Amino acid sequence: MKIINLQKQLGNLSIKINDWKIQDGKVHGIIGANGCGKTSISKLILGLLEPENIIIDFETIDSSQITMTSQRPYLMHTSVYENIIYPLKIRRITPNQEEIDFYLTKFNLFHKKNEYAPRLSSGERQKLSLIRSLIFHPQLIIIDESLSNLDMESVRLFENTINDIQKNSPVTWIIISHQLAQIQRMCDRVHFVDNGSILESGTVEDMLFKCDNERLKKYIDANILSFKEK
Amino acid sequence: MKFISELVAKGFSDVGVMSAVKTTLIMAISSTIISAVFGIIIGLLLERFNFKGKKIVVRINRTLMGVPPVVIGLVVYMLLMRRGPLGSLHILFTVKGMIFAQVLIITPIVSGMIYSSALKSAMPIRFFAKTMGANSRQTSFLIIKEMRSEIYFALVAGFGRAISEVGAVMLVGGNIKGSTRTMTTAISLLKSQGIFSEGIALGVMLLLIAFILQWITDFLRKEEIVDENY
Repeated sequence: MKIINLQKQLGNLSIKINDWKIQDGKVHGIIGANGCGKTSISKLILGLLEPENIIIDFETIDSSQITMTSQRPYLMHTSVYENIIYPLKIRRITPNQEEIDFYLTKFNLFHKKNEYAPRLSSGERQKLSLIRSLIFHPQLIIIDESLSNLDMESVRLFENTINDIQKNSPVTWIIISHQLAQIQRMCDRVHFVDNGSILESGTVEDMLFKCDNERLKKYIDANILSFKEK
Repeated sequence: MKFISELVAKGFSDVGVMSAVKTTLIMAISSTIISAVFGIIIGLLLERFNFKGKKIVVRINRTLMGVPPVVIGLVVYMLLMRRGPLGSLHILFTVKGMIFAQVLIITPIVSGMIYSSALKSAMPIRFFAKTMGANSRQTSFLIIKEMRSEIYFALVAGFGRAISEVGAVMLVGGNIKGSTRTMTTAISLLKSQGIFSEGIALGVMLLLIAFILQWITDFLRKEEIVDENY
């Protein structure tokens, strides 16, 4: 997927990307300080924000097969099960009960299958949102800091799920996170966003361990420092 | 309580109580249903689209939410009278004319309440629908479905206004016994005749009808207990 000449003014933040290539079938990590435009770029890709200028060449990706989960996912005022099957319902696809039960069991939500979804805890909401995004087998999945409310066990579980999917039928992932260790474990490529632009892109090794860019270095140092302090 | 026992023993005086109850219900329910259609569409369209003069439209809507019904009654009377622009419809002093007036009174209440609720609720629903790949028709349907509680309260408010209204229905309906006399206009007549006990009894009946209808709709709606866990 290629993004060319993206422009959007959001208050004081000016988003500007001249040429950005996102390799299909890979796990991409997006890092950058708060308010630098990571989420806005994702929303522009998804069409949730209207840009002043944008050319997206989706190449092999069908634009209706892109999904996104956020930190505070919206849950429909209905049961956990009804939430999961919503993307299937609108595509008129018969739900695969085995697959639904598999994910519910894997993420320890099976016993809440028929519960009223908005009553779930914040971690459970994240899990439900992730299952709902996976269930219709999209081609591009954007995870916007969705793993932040999960316990370590659930994070590992989710990382394993991504690995399994990538082994069997790879899809494109864009993972926005401040957890550099997680980015290192999961991603094939990393993109550093600064002040509305993609400042650097490269492999995990190049970006996290061999970078020359001063701003990126500063961001990584600050994150490692805060990690050590914890 | 003495007047109630006297009333039970003697029955209502000759003001056409049963007919008034029937007219009240027909008028209130019909006008609420028609206003629901217009109010929901106007409220959601106002939230969805930005256009020149939108602020003025919203202000006019809010002003109409509090306009004295008797003023609407007068305007409708002038529209429907024989020499008026809608005189050819021949619906002055009919239940249809009263419903017309009530729709003009209730629609701004419904649309105003729905617009205010949609300002808070519609955006996250639209965002969610987009991430699921819903088309615009599916998104609109989801917004209405997810906002059903807000819509319900707007309709309850509209129905409350319709059933309790007296000024406009008196002017447009003419308080004709057995035809356009409603419970409220009957109360007004009973008061002018000094028959207070029957007026109070009709008032209690009015409250009872409102209570029963609320109870039925509550039952059908299966009261949602929302614990958003934010």
